[in-house]
Amino acid sequence: MLRAMLRDLRAHLGRVVMTLAAIVLGVAFVVATWVVSDSAAATVGGAQRTDLAALVHRESEDPTATDIPADVRDRLARLPGVTRAEGVREGYAALVRADGKLGATSWPDAGGTDWDGSQRFTLSAGRGPQRAGEVALEQGAAAEAGLTVGDSARVLLGGDRSDTATVVGVFTYRPAGHELDPAVAYDADTAARLLRPRDAAADVVPGFARIELSGPDERAVIAAAQAELGPGFEVESGSSLRAVREQASHDAADTIRKALLAFAAVALMAGVFVIANTFTMLVTQRTRQFALLRAVGARRRQVRRAVLAEAVVLGLVGSTVGVVLGVGLGLLAMRLLPVAGTVAYAVSPWAVLVGYLVGVVVTVVSAYGSARRAARVSPMAALRTDAVLPRRSLVLRTVLGMLAVAGGVAMVAATSSDRLTESTRALAMSGAVLAWVGVLLIAPVLVVGVLRPLTGVLRSPRPVTRIALRNAVRDPRRTAATASALMIGLSLVCAFATVGQTLTDTTTADVRASVPADAVVLRAATFGTFDDTVRTAAAAVPGVTGLAAPRSGAMLVIGPGGTARDTLFTSLDAAALGSALRVRVTAGDADLRRGVVLDRGFAAEAGLHVGDRVRLRFDAADAAGRVTPVEVPVTVAGLREPSELLHGQLLDDALLPDGVARQGGSVYAVGADAAALRTAMERSFAQRPDVLVQDREQVLDEVLEPFQLVLGLVYVLLGAAVVIAVFGVVNTLALSVLERTRELGVFRALGASRALVRRTVRRESVVISLYGGVLGIGVGVLLGGVMQYVILANPVFAMSVPWLAAAVALAGMALVGVLAALWPARRAARADILAAIATQ
Amino acid sequence: MTNFDAAVSAADLTKQYGSGDAQVTALNAVNVAFGRGELTAIMGPSGSGKSTLMHCLAGLDTPTSGQVWLEGARHGDAGRVELSGLRDDALTTLRRDRMGFVFQAFNLLPTLTAWENITLPLDLAGRRPDQAFADTVIEAVGLRDRLHHRPAELSGGQQQRVACARALVSRPDVVFADEPTGALDSRSGAEVLGFLRRSVDQLAQTVVMVTHDPVAAGYADRVLFLADGVIVDELREPSADRVLDRIRSLESVARGGRTSVGAGA
Ligand SMILES: Nc1ncnc2c1ncn2[C@@H]1O[C@H](COP(=O)(O)OP(=O)(O)OP(=O)(O)O)[C@@H](O)[C@H]1O
Ligand SMILES: [Mg+2]
Repeated sequence: MLRAMLRDLRAHLGRVVMTLAAIVLGVAFVVATWVVSDSAAATVGGAQRTDLAALVHRESEDPTATDIPADVRDRLARLPGVTRAEGVREGYAALVRADGKLGATSWPDAGGTDWDGSQRFTLSAGRGPQRAGEVALEQGAAAEAGLTVGDSARVLLGGDRSDTATVVGVFTYRPAGHELDPAVAYDADTAARLLRPRDAAADVVPGFARIELSGPDERAVIAAAQAELGPGFEVESGSSLRAVREQASHDAADTIRKALLAFAAVALMAGVFVIANTFTMLVTQRTRQFALLRAVGARRRQVRRAVLAEAVVLGLVGSTVGVVLGVGLGLLAMRLLPVAGTVAYAVSPWAVLVGYLVGVVVTVVSAYGSARRAARVSPMAALRTDAVLPRRSLVLRTVLGMLAVAGGVAMVAATSSDRLTESTRALAMSGAVLAWVGVLLIAPVLVVGVLRPLTGVLRSPRPVTRIALRNAVRDPRRTAATASALMIGLSLVCAFATVGQTLTDTTTADVRASVPADAVVLRAATFGTFDDTVRTAAAAVPGVTGLAAPRSGAMLVIGPGGTARDTLFTSLDAAALGSALRVRVTAGDADLRRGVVLDRGFAAEAGLHVGDRVRLRFDAADAAGRVTPVEVPVTVAGLREPSELLHGQLLDDALLPDGVARQGGSVYAVGADAAALRTAMERSFAQRPDVLVQDREQVLDEVLEPFQLVLGLVYVLLGAAVVIAVFGVVNTLALSVLERTRELGVFRALGASRALVRRTVRRESVVISLYGGVLGIGVGVLLGGVMQYVILANPVFAMSVPWLAAAVALAGMALVGVLAALWPARRAARADILAAIATQ
Repeated sequence: MTNFDAAVSAADLTKQYGSGDAQVTALNAVNVAFGRGELTAIMGPSGSGKSTLMHCLAGLDTPTSGQVWLEGARHGDAGRVELSGLRDDALTTLRRDRMGFVFQAFNLLPTLTAWENITLPLDLAGRRPDQAFADTVIEAVGLRDRLHHRPAELSGGQQQRVACARALVSRPDVVFADEPTGALDSRSGAEVLGFLRRSVDQLAQTVVMVTHDPVAAGYADRVLFLADGVIVDELREPSADRVLDRIRSLESVARGGRTSVGAGA
C-alpha cells in the first residue's frame, strides 16, 4: 500500500514541488540561522590566546593610579617558571578619517597599544611597526578610515595631541578576556612616548596597563606572581581568560540564534499553513482512491499511516534540499555581513540535525489533520460520483477564534493605565499575540464575510471579476489558509513598520521640540562623550547667546516615603533650558532653579508629583579621590516627556555637589545669526576630530539611523515568510485550476477566450493575495499599535500608521497575486474543452 | 436540396484519430447541411462519430480535412464563415456570439446562479441581455422562481433547462445539443425536448441535436443516421416508431454489409 501511495506522490509531482518549496525554505532558514550563529561564535571566540599563563592588573584604591610601573614587570620577568613578562601599554587613540573627524568602530580610550611579538597580533598585510613614524592599524579601523599599507595615517591621541605616521601593517587582534580591539599599534618606544589616557597632562608618562606572563605551568606562574606582588594587584589565569572569551562567543551565538530563530519560527508558521493546505488539497483530490483502498480492506490506521508516511518522505526530501540551501545561505550571509576582521565559518552537525528535525516534524504536524480526514473516508465514497471528504465544520474554529480575539483585546484593554510595568507589558503583548492568532482562526469566516458581500457590491457587468470572486469564496477554508500564510509574514512586517513609523515620528517630534531649528549641535564623534574643554571652547565662540551642555550621571531619588530609586540625572545650566534646549513639560514647569524636573514615566512609577519634596543622593569624590554619598533636598518642579536627547531627571548644574561623576556628549548652542554661528563653530572645532558640528536635522538622522537599519534587517528576515506564502498561493491556484478542468472547459466552450480564462485565474489570485494583504496590513498595524504601546507607553491608537509601507505592501500583494497566477493561469487557459464536456 | 436554406454545412468533413495501426476514422468525408429553423437530430450507434461531427461543426474540434461553414443570418449573407481557417480566438468569439450549446451533463458553472449562467455568453461578449426576450425564454423554460439558485440547488432537469435557456438567450445562429436528455428521466427529458421544439417553432431557432433516443428524435424535423463516420440515411418528419424501424433496418444492413465486406476481403 505504501508503494501505491508513493507512486501516487510521484504522479502528483508538480503539486508536491510547491509543498517542497515551503519545506525547503523553512528548513533553509533554520539551518542558515544555525550556521550564522555558529560562525558568529567562531568569529567572536576566534583563535584563543594560548601563549598566556596569567595577566596582571593593578588593583588600586586611587583611580588615577591604575597603571603598572616598569620595575614590576622586571621583577615578574625574573620569577622562576616565567618565560616571558610583557608590559602592555594602552592609551587614548583614534584614527582620523579623510573628513577630519573620527570613525566609530573602535573604543578610543583603549584605541592605542604597543606592538609585540605575542599572539595578540596577526598581520594581514605589511609588517609590524619598528620605529617612530610607523604605525600598524587594526583591519576594521583601517577599513573605516579608508587606509592601507603605505598611506599616511593621522591619529588623535590623549592629552590633546595627535600624530601622523606611515601605515606599515594591518593586523587582526586576538583579545584576552574582556579586552577590546585597539585601532592602532606603535612600536614599544613610540607607544611609551605617545600613549596616555584622554585627559592626561602632557608631561605624564604612564606605566603599563597590564602585564602578560607566559610560562609552561600556569598555576606555578600565578602562584609565583601572587607571592611576588602581594595585594594591590590582580592576577588572572590564562585559562579563566579563555573561559571568558568562550562564554562571550557563546553569548554572541546565543543572542544571534535567538533573534534569528524568532524569524525562522515565523517563516515556519507560514510554511505550516502552506504545507497543511497543500496536503488538504492533495488528500481531497484523492478521496476516491482512499475510499477504494478502504473498500478493498485497508484499515483506517493504514490509510492514516500511509498519508503520514507520505509526509515523512516529503519532509526528508525537503529537509535535504533545505539543509544544503541553508548552509549555503548561512555562509553567504556571513560573507555579506559587515563584520570587522576575519570571519570564521562553522557548520556544526547540530545545524544539519535541527534542519532535518524541523523539516520532518513540521511536515508531519501539518499533514496530520489531512491524514485523519483521509482515514475517515468511507468505503462508500468510492461508489459515489460526487465523493467528498468529511469536512469539519468551521463553527468550533470560529468560536475559538472569536474568543481569542475578544480575550486578546480584553487583555490589552485591561492594561491601559498610565503605569506600565513589566507584567502589564507582557500581558498586553500576549493579548496582542492571542488576538493575532484569533484572526488566523476566524480567517475562513472572514473570507465569506468580506468577499461574498463584495460580489454583490461589485455588480460588475464583467463576468471575470464575478467568477474570480466566487471562486475565491468557494472554499473559504482554503482561501483563508492561503491568505493566512501571507498574513503571517505581512502582519509582522506591518507591525514592525508601525513601530518603526511611530518611533520615527515620536523621535522626530521629540528632537524637533527639544532642539531649536537654528541651533548648532556639537556631538562626540565616537561613543557618546567628550571632555569639558568642548563646553568651554563652545562658550567662547563669538555670537553664542545660549549654550546647553547636558551631562549625565547616576543618582538615587529618595521619595517622601523614604523609598530610594536608582536613576539617571542630567544636569545643565538652568538658564539654557528653554533657549538652546527645550523640554516638553507635562506638569509643573521646567524651571530648574525651582527644583528637579522628572521624567513623566519615572514619576508615575515612583508615585511622585509636582511639589513633592525629594532627596537626591549622589556619589561625590573628594580631592583625594575618596567617594562619599551626598544628599541634596529638592522640590519636584515639573514633569516632562521622555526624550532621546535628555535622559533621566533634569537638574541645574548649580545644584550638583562637587565631585559627582558625569559625562556629556552633546552641546547645543544658539546665536542671533544661525549661519554665522555654524561657520564660527566649524572653524573653532576644525582641529577637533572628536567633535562633530551638526544641525538639528543631522542629529535627527543620526538618532534614527540605528533603528532604520534594524527595521531594514527585520523586513528582510520576515521576507522569507512572505516568500513561502507566495508558494502557497501558487499551490492553491494550481490545485484549484486542476480541480476545475471541466468547469474551465465549459467556460471555454461557451466562448471564453484563453486570455479571458487567464484573466479570471489571475484575478482570483489577486483577490486571495489582496485579502491576505488587507488582513495582514490591518492586523499588523493594530499589532504594531500594541507593540509601540508596550515599548513606548503611548496609547495604542496613538501609533503612526506607516502609509507608505502599507501602500507598498498592498501593491506588493497585488503583484504577488499576478505572479503567483502565471503558471496556474496558463494551465487553466490550456484546459481541454472536449475533455471537459465528454461524459466521464 | 436546391432551395434548402442551410444554417450550417460541412463538405468532405474527415476526422481521424491516432496514426498507423491505431488510426481511427471517426468521420469519413461527410457532406451535410442543417436547415435553418429546423430541429435536426443525429442518430447512430455508439462510436459512429456523432459527437465528433458535432464538435467539428461547432469548432470545438479541428477536422483532419474538409470544411465547415457557418452561414450568415440569411442565405448568401456576408456573415458566412468557414471554420477551418480560423484561429482559436476567432473560433471562441464565434462560439460565444453565434452558437449555443447544451451538453449531456455538466453544463453550468457551479459558482454562478441560474440567471448568471444564462447570461454568461452575453456577459462574456459585454452585451446586455434583451430583457423582453430573456423573459420569454425564462418563461418558456419555466425557471422564473429558480433564477437566483446555484446549479447545485437545481435538479438535473432544471439544470438542463437552464442550459437550454443559456443556449437560446443570445439568439445564436445555431444551437448544438449533444445528448441533452442523456442524463434525465423521461419526464424531465420530455420537458427539455418540448422546449427545444418550441424554440424552433416559435423563435425559428436552428437546433442540431445528437441523441440515442428514438423518442427524442421524434421531436425533430429531420433525422440523420450516422454509421462508421458516414451519413447513411435520413428521415423527414419522423415519429419515434419510424425512427425505430429505420434503426432496425440500418442495423441489419450494417450486419449484412459487414458480412459482405468480410467475404470480399
Ligand atoms: N480523442 C480520441 N482519440 C481517439 N479516438 C477517438 C477520440 N474521440 C473519439 N474517438 C473515436 O472516434 C469514434 C467516434 O467517436 P464519437 O465520440 O464521435 O462517437 P459517438 O457517436 O459520439 O458515440 P457515443 O454514442 O458513444 O457518444 C469512436 O470510434 C471513438 O473511439
Ligand atoms: Mg457521443
